[in-house]
Amino acid sequence: MRYLYYPGCTLYSKAKNLDRCARRAAERVGITLEELPSWNCCGAIFNTGSDDIAGQVGPVRVLAKASQLGDRLVTLCAACYNVLKRAGARLNIPGNELERQRVLEFVEEKMERDVRVVHYLEVLKEDIGWEGVRRRVSKPLNGLKVACYYGCLMVRPKEVLSFDDPENPMVMDELVAELGGEPVRFDFKAECCGGYLVVNRREVAQECSMRVVENARSWGAELIVTTCPLCQYNLEMAQKSVGARRNLPVLPVLYFTQLLGLALGLPEEELGFEDNKLNPVDFLKEKGLL
Amino acid sequence: MNRTPEELVREIETLSGQRIADCYQCGCCSAGCPIGTAMEPPPSKAIRLLQLGRVEELLQSEGIWLCASCLVCGTRCPRGVDYARIAEACRLLILRTKRSVVDPDCVVPADLEDVPQQAFIASFRKFSV
Repeated sequence: MRYLYYPGCTLYSKAKNLDRCARRAAERVGITLEELPSWNCCGAIFNTGSDDIAGQVGPVRVLAKASQLGDRLVTLCAACYNVLKRAGARLNIPGNELERQRVLEFVEEKMERDVRVVHYLEVLKEDIGWEGVRRRVSKPLNGLKVACYYGCLMVRPKEVLSFDDPENPMVMDELVAELGGEPVRFDFKAECCGGYLVVNRREVAQECSMRVVENARSWGAELIVTTCPLCQYNLEMAQKSVGARRNLPVLPVLYFTQLLGLALGLPEEELGFEDNKLNPVDFLKEKGLL
Repeated sequence: MNRTPEELVREIETLSGQRIADCYQCGCCSAGCPIGTAMEPPPSKAIRLLQLGRVEELLQSEGIWLCASCLVCGTRCPRGVDYARIAEACRLLILRTKRSVVDPDCVVPADLEDVPQQAFIASFRKFSV
């Protein structure tokens, strides 16, 4: 199966381990990710101002480019997923025809058809199927206790995202179970990590992130998985600073694609652990997974 | 801003697409807000200020700049009010007077090396002119 794929800004540099593992793992389960040519930044966060048309131009251009090549666009980054989906939905609000026309004039690309923005996890679940994933697992996770962290952007606003339950999403938990891990109950799986507040209010973001990490730990998690480069960064950095100051033990934070790649038997050098701020290699060796 | 409180509230309603009067102050938004303890005023109190016509007080508050757009408030609101949009409308009123709260020039070089670019882009979009 071939899919049009949108990596987004961060996946080419600071989150290249998220992207690379996803591409390799996709090959293993029989998917080809075809990168959208000449894509641009989606804007990283959705602008909600009713007259804020300029904020829609970036994501709508991506959707228009994609519409010329297919009717589905796969994303990995939770922020891209959120912004592209909401921009597409806003374009189609009844009564919003004038805005639609104006945005598309700015974009100067033809919108050939509606594009469904899908997350990589949705492709795994709906198209490959859990059975299809399970069949390709060569290195089961040995009951590793995993907290699946979805954050905000995958599940909210629920009217538009329709990804999963906004309070208790389960897709990633299902995947971890198929890989031979044990998804733990985790009540802060959709609690905010503090997001972009890390830029100007670092201490506030770190407190949010520490709450998430500590909640995962109290439910017995040995590892956290995320789908968003910013969540991943926040959860790791909060532990490196606040956690270290409070003498808390480290909980490794991996991208779900790294865990997927591991279970599918990708060689260690393709899993990109050297780019994680909290290197999980020793922990994974201890668990007999590397 | 040379506008009456009534005009300002109406503009916030237009920009946010929310009706201020819909809020019945149950407090679900503030209770769920991950930043609620640091945010002053927290979401429900912020909306109350608008209901009372104390718009300037809200516009001068720090709270509107502490929203991380996680959308828990709106998701849990039994009246369908989305405070994240209201906070964004308040910020837009200020940003449109050409007053940034986060200045891209002030980013520390070490952060540029480290912090994912999506955080910078999001922060500048929400907090800069």
